[in-house]
Amino acid sequence: MLGYTEKIKEIAGRLLKECTVDMVIGFRKGTMPMMNEPCFATTPEAVDTLWWDSNCGINLANYLTNRKEKVAVIAKGCDSRNIVTHIIENKIKRDQVYIVGVPCTGMIDKRKITGMVKGEIIAVSETEDTIKIKTADAETLFDKTEVLQQNCALCIHRNPVIFDEMVADAVQEQTDVDRYADIQKIETMGTEEKWQFFDDLLSPCIRCYACRNACPLCYCPTCFVDEAKPQWMGKGQDPLDVRTFHFLRAYHCAGRCTDCGACERACPVGINMRLLTRKLEMDCQEQFGWEAGLSLDQRPAMDVYQANDPEAFIK
Amino acid sequence: MELMGVEPDRLHFSWISSAESTKFVNVVKEVTEKVKAIGPNNHFIKDTAKVA
Amino acid sequence: MSDWEPKIVSFLCNWCSYGAADLAGVGRMQYPSNIRVIRIPCTGRMDPKFALTALREGADAVWVSG
Repeated sequence: MLGYTEKIKEIAGRLLKECTVDMVIGFRKGTMPMMNEPCFATTPEAVDTLWWDSNCGINLANYLTNRKEKVAVIAKGCDSRNIVTHIIENKIKRDQVYIVGVPCTGMIDKRKITGMVKGEIIAVSETEDTIKIKTADAETLFDKTEVLQQNCALCIHRNPVIFDEMVADAVQEQTDVDRYADIQKIETMGTEEKWQFFDDLLSPCIRCYACRNACPLCYCPTCFVDEAKPQWMGKGQDPLDVRTFHFLRAYHCAGRCTDCGACERACPVGINMRLLTRKLEMDCQEQFGWEAGLSLDQRPAMDVYQANDPEAFIK
Repeated sequence: MELMGVEPDRLHFSWISSAESTKFVNVVKEVTEKVKAIGPNNHFIKDTAKVA
Repeated sequence: MSDWEPKIVSFLCNWCSYGAADLAGVGRMQYPSNIRVIRIPCTGRMDPKFALTALREGADAVWVSG
C-alpha cells in the first residue's frame, strides 16, 4: 500500500483539474501518529495533502450521505461496499460519485499498538508488511499481521467491489478466515453468562455516540436514542439503556453492515460492539445467503421476501 | 436477543388467520405455559437504587 | 412467588390474529388472561424497539402474531 499516496494524488489532481468532480474525499496525515483524518480537497493544489497508509481506517462512505455535488472518494474494500449500500438506499446517485478503488491489506489497530509498547508513541513508519513504532526511548518492529484491526484480520473483501479507477492491482483475498469464531463461542454460553458477558463488555460505554457518528449507515435525521415522544430509552449510562442502544443500533445495521470497523475504531473506550453487528451479519449470511454491499442490482435481504425465507421461528 | 442473554422463549412469533380462533387460543395457552416455565423477567428491571 | 402470573405483551395484526382474538371472544372460548393485546395495523408495523420497550417496561414476554 506504500506507493498509493502518489497515485492517489495524481488521480485526484487530474479529476479536479478536468473538473470531473467538485471534490475529492480522501485522507491526510493527522496531527498525531496513527490518526489519519479525512481530507476534502476541492482545488488541484489541495491534493498535495492527500495521504495513504495503514491508518486510514475511517469509513469515507460516511461523508457521501445526501451530497449534491459530484465527488470522488477514495475507497477501500469495505468503503466501496458501503458506497453500494448508499446507492441502493438512494443516499447518493451512482453517477455522482467517482470511486477511486484502493486494494487494502488491512488497517492497523492503534489501541492494540499502544498497549504493546511502553511510553508515548512519537512516530510510526511502515513497510509493506512491518510497522515500526518509535517511542521516546525505544524502537519496536512489528509484523503488520500482528497489529491489524480485528475486522481487517477477518476481512474477506479487501478489494473494492465497485470502482471507476483502481489505484493499484487487486490484492489477494483472504480465504481461510473463520469470521465468526468469537461469536460462536458466546453462543455456547448459558443465558446468565451471556447477559453478564454483555454487561461487562458494554459497562465502559459513556454514550458518546462516536460509533454512531463514525458509521456510514447511521444517517437517520433523528436517531432513535434522541427521540423523546415516545422516548424509547433513557439517555444516561444505566446498563440497561446502554445495552438497548447498542442492541438496537446493531439491528438497524442488520444486512447493511460491512464490518468496516469504524465504530470500534472511533470508540474512546474500546468497546467491541462489532460482536453485535457481526452476529447479525452472520445470521444474514446463514439464513439469507446475503452479504451487504456486493452488488448494485440486488435488493438487501431485509428488503425482499422470498418464499424460501426461513420461518422455523414462527409457530 | 438470544446472543445477548435473553431467554429465547421471551419472544414469540406466530401466524394466525382471522378465522383460526381455535389456533389463537392454543397459541395463547402455549405461549403462557412457556413463559411461566422461564419465570419472571428480571434482567430488564432498572436498578433504580443505582440510578438515584 | 407461587402466585406469579406472567404478563405477555402481544402485538397482533389487525387483519389476522386480532381478528382471531375477536372471533375467539365471540365464540366464548377460554384462554389464559396473561396476554395484553396491542393491535397493530400489520405485522410490518412491528419494530425491534417495540419489543424491547415492552420488556423494559416490565413485560415478561413479547408475542408477535401476524
